[in-house]
Amino acid sequence: MRSRLASLFYENAQALPDKEAIWCDGQSVTYREMANLVSRYSNLLLSLGAAYGDHIAIPMNNSIESAALFFSAADLGVCVVPLNPSLPLEAIRAAMTAGDVKHVIARKAFFSECDKSGGLDIPGFAICLDQDYPNTFPFSKLSEMPAQRPELDYDITGSESLILTMTSGSTGTPKPIDISQDNKYDRCAAHIRVYRLTRQDRIIAATPLYHTLAERLVILPLILGASSVLLPRFTPAIWLKCVAEQKPTFTIAVSAQLAQILELLKKPDAPSITSFRTIVSSSALLEASVKYELIELLQCEFHEMYGASEVSTVTDICFQEARDKQNSVGKPFDEAKIKILRDESESDFDTECAPGEIGEIAVRTKLLCKGYYRQEAMMKAAMFHDYFRTGDLGYMDQDGYLYFSGRKKELIITGAVNVYPHDIDTVIARLPEVEECAAFSYPDDRLGEVVALAIVPKEDHEINLRALRTYCARNLADFQQPHKIFLVDRLPRNTMGKLQRTAILSYLREAGLDG
Amino acid sequence: MKENVKEFIIDYIQREYTIPGDIDILTLNFVEEGYVDSLGLIQFVYTLEDEFNISFSENELKSPDIKIVGNLIRLVEAKMEA
Repeated sequence: MRSRLASLFYENAQALPDKEAIWCDGQSVTYREMANLVSRYSNLLLSLGAAYGDHIAIPMNNSIESAALFFSAADLGVCVVPLNPSLPLEAIRAAMTAGDVKHVIARKAFFSECDKSGGLDIPGFAICLDQDYPNTFPFSKLSEMPAQRPELDYDITGSESLILTMTSGSTGTPKPIDISQDNKYDRCAAHIRVYRLTRQDRIIAATPLYHTLAERLVILPLILGASSVLLPRFTPAIWLKCVAEQKPTFTIAVSAQLAQILELLKKPDAPSITSFRTIVSSSALLEASVKYELIELLQCEFHEMYGASEVSTVTDICFQEARDKQNSVGKPFDEAKIKILRDESESDFDTECAPGEIGEIAVRTKLLCKGYYRQEAMMKAAMFHDYFRTGDLGYMDQDGYLYFSGRKKELIITGAVNVYPHDIDTVIARLPEVEECAAFSYPDDRLGEVVALAIVPKEDHEINLRALRTYCARNLADFQQPHKIFLVDRLPRNTMGKLQRTAILSYLREAGLDG
Repeated sequence: MKENVKEFIIDYIQREYTIPGDIDILTLNFVEEGYVDSLGLIQFVYTLEDEFNISFSENELKSPDIKIVGNLIRLVEAKMEA
């Protein structure tokens, strides 16, 4: 038995060989060419010793080769561990350990950085994507590989892990979200149904491929027989130029991107964009004014969705169809059921909130991931019976529409990227001049939120802000960099001494420190 | 040492994506073209300060010039000579 995901793709390649499968960064590839690329990639991995169930890490960029890797992995029954290339090496190493990584595919810059700090300790092979590099296999060998789909002497059942998506846990330990081949298929099928996607659609992915959203938007069209448009890097200008040229019909975009795109769309010299049939906004609530202006300018169906990597999309709303529910994130997908849990209630009885009452959003869904890889206890802690606790707060109305009210988890979302403040605290607290510190969310017009940092210096110690920023540049990822740093004499705590992270900003403002 | 600055900056910008051969790297605005995003720019600047033992003024950091590869290279080189 072969992989269902890979087989669907290969069937499309046979039926639609000359159709455009994917476009990225000026390069367009037909289904036939993409099938050859996927097969060559599989043969390369096999020739280097990749075996069923192996985990392959890749600091991943948005490219046609990255998209091909997902299908090779599915076909061979191996698992891809996509990593954010901007993570500091220490975090990448931790993620590779948590993800039980055997092989690595990366660019020269990554291997060179590893070598500067003690090398790379993996049991399997390393492939260098862009250049020759000592002790790695050059990716250019791919062209010498056969373009036939390899024969396998084992079965792929669909339960195999396909992707481990890394999120950082609140304790700083990476939390690998384990998504099986069947999970990925079911998630794609649900989105195809809900958004009535067909082979005629051109689906644009504009977020990084190491996030589940872009993975879905690239895998989905290729198993459907539609076309994928993969934005190499996001800036509003690059998106607009790409959309004007490539004429996509569908996308799921993150709300921070849409707000930036709108600014550009309103300029007098902006191109007219008429190709979209449907745009879905995700990640955070979009401001109503932004939403209405986008609908006006893009003249398409406009949806908003709510979900999380662990549970995929949970709810959806089309604004043209539900005009009296403009502040809702919609009704559940057929696959999902929602419970709103009353806070601090651990008993089996009377735990559900009444309509209109705010509590934690918990979801039971057929689209739930396999779990957190090798962290069963963490997954168990996140479940309430068979409902996944999202860590988000919200309420349901009488008609079954969900409303998002905020976050229970201490999380900063900057431009749709989740940042766990504790990870930043841990790194900053290592500095000898720091008594205590706390990263917190600071509002930002462009990104929704940015990271801010409050530091209490040790007595008789001075904080050199420039040295601190250099330290942050070295030890934190780009999305974790503090945009604002405040030196304070204490942090707000409750009577039990617990840090009140969400109260830091108002504390600073009351003290006149946020000017 | 000058070659070192140019190589370091161009390598850093290409950590995730190779700049196509037909693009004039020195006039490239690496932020507008998405090679380094606005979040990554802070990190890039402090990495340069650390690597070459220099420091940028607030005005230099605010100037759009710093986002052009050639201008950034010249600025770092000038600071090293000063």
